[in-house]
Amino acid sequence: MKTVIKTSNLEKVYNGSVAPVRAVNNVNLEFQEGEFTAIVGPSGSGKTTFLNLIGGLDKPTGGQVIIDGTDIASLKESQLFDFRLKHIGFVFQSYNLIPVLTAKENVSFIMLLQKQSKDAMEKRAKEMLEQVGLSDKLNSRPNQLSGGQQQRVAVARALASKPKFVLADEPTANLDTESAFNLLDIMSRLNKEENITLIFSTHDQRVIERASRVITLVDGEVSKDEMFDR
Amino acid sequence: MAWRNLWRKKRRTFISVSSVMFAAVLAIILMSMVSGMTDQFVASIVNNTTGYLQIQDALYNDEPTIDHALEYTPEKEAMLNTHADMIDYIVPRIQGFGLASRDMGTRGAMIMGVDAEMETRMNNLGSRLIEGSMFEPSDEFAVIAEGLAHQLGLTLGDTIVLLGQGFQGMTAAGTFKVGGIVQFSLPEQNNAMVYLPLKQAQGFFAAPDRLTNLIIMTHNPQEADELSRKIQQEIDPEWYAVYTWEELMPDAVAAFEARDAQFKVMAWILYIVAGFGIFGTVITMMHERLREFGILLSIGLKRAQLALICMIETVVMSLLGVAAGVIVGFLIVYNWYRNPIHLGAEIGEVFLDFGIEPYMSFSIAPDIFFYQAMTVFFIALFIGIYPVRKVFKLNMTRAARK
Repeated sequence: MKTVIKTSNLEKVYNGSVAPVRAVNNVNLEFQEGEFTAIVGPSGSGKTTFLNLIGGLDKPTGGQVIIDGTDIASLKESQLFDFRLKHIGFVFQSYNLIPVLTAKENVSFIMLLQKQSKDAMEKRAKEMLEQVGLSDKLNSRPNQLSGGQQQRVAVARALASKPKFVLADEPTANLDTESAFNLLDIMSRLNKEENITLIFSTHDQRVIERASRVITLVDGEVSKDEMFDR
Repeated sequence: MAWRNLWRKKRRTFISVSSVMFAAVLAIILMSMVSGMTDQFVASIVNNTTGYLQIQDALYNDEPTIDHALEYTPEKEAMLNTHADMIDYIVPRIQGFGLASRDMGTRGAMIMGVDAEMETRMNNLGSRLIEGSMFEPSDEFAVIAEGLAHQLGLTLGDTIVLLGQGFQGMTAAGTFKVGGIVQFSLPEQNNAMVYLPLKQAQGFFAAPDRLTNLIIMTHNPQEADELSRKIQQEIDPEWYAVYTWEELMPDAVAAFEARDAQFKVMAWILYIVAGFGIFGTVITMMHERLREFGILLSIGLKRAQLALICMIETVVMSLLGVAAGVIVGFLIVYNWYRNPIHLGAEIGEVFLDFGIEPYMSFSIAPDIFFYQAMTVFFIALFIGIYPVRKVFKLNMTRAARK
């Protein structure tokens, strides 16, 4: 299997008011193509910080994040924007759709930034919304959709540009049970069908039970790294 | 996307557009009033005293005596006729100080020989008549001011004795029947003016064909300077001089400039207050959208693209506000332009004392709307730098978590 992400001695230290806070400490991990990984741990264990570091949203204070042979920590900000746009999909806890755009436009948004053709965007957006079961909501604005539907649009948006991997920060935290299961079904299916690498940070047992790999962080360090045959 | 963002929160956009609009409206009203009042004062000065241009003897302005009266020859008239396209009409005057008497009473007087028709065209002299009639050029009677008539106990048909200094040492003396009485609001005029037909006055001053002031009224006040330059090139500067009203009334010009400076300070205070109003709205708007900005940057929108969206929003809001401000400002100012505000008792009397109608005039000159609109627009654009700067400094992970 191909390694998609590799971290070496990854470290993030924040300057706290009393003493420096070591949010991520000496993390060495590799993520393989097609893996469905859940990063778990108590609040403040460094899950979101770790996701931000491997997603290029934040710069590490030490170590490396190597994606496709590139140490993204060494990239300039403008290069990082392009890198994220090309290689990484994001799903956030609070859906975070663009309120003024329709579901189809939200899904097309990243492809628009990638300067894909209008026809290709249109086709892929419809296809992705169909895959997440929202083919009848193409022209609905976020405020016309339920929380679960908005999160499914967010997943379609993250996957539409065919990124190397998708980072999801507690994507089920705001969903009811039915919507959460629905979303997980969709993501599991896409993970298998499109061989997309998924990395979730989560507290949610329902996510953990679907993941093929569960990494536990405690105080910014990897305390457990378990593989499951699912 | 920027356009849709504007209408996402209509109330927020309405508040922002309103801030810009009110700034533009207030600035337009203020500057329209300043410009209108200046025009009113200038018109008063020009019409009641100097005219737009005056040709005088080269020494008259420094020493305004009858000895420095210029000779108004047919050649001079022909020269002026070559500029007929710029000249509306010409008002000839010969004037000098003298004494006005009746029986035992004597008062100082300004004796002015005029063409009554031209004078009326310039300053409505005829409309000030309260008794009798204005003279024709061939008449031989005097028209005197009401205050002087009262002081000397003169009524229509009485004789007034005038004494003064004639041309080149001649004694000016004459008696004239009072054929008309005019009234002025300014006491200095009402207690001193004696008008004679031009020919009669030239005879009285022993200065036939001479004038102390040759007033030129232009079709377009803006052309006065240009006409002054042209005439200057065609007259002998050793004998003649041309002055614009600004050169003849430097104190008035300085007073206007001082007043304009005060109003400009007021306008800038207004701009600053309005600017802070707009700035407050922009800060609130930014604060509300920080998370959204963090997300947009996270998923791949570049800072420059996001900054461009913010700038487009600011530009569109500013343009809408300025356009609305110009329309509303124009409607308000146009109403006051057509129906000038009548000034109340005390301030109205002050205006009347200076021979100015007691109305607050407004101007609808296009440049007022243009400059105020542009100033407010650029202030709004300047404020628009704040969101752009904020976008470039935004910590996207922190913003996305808000």
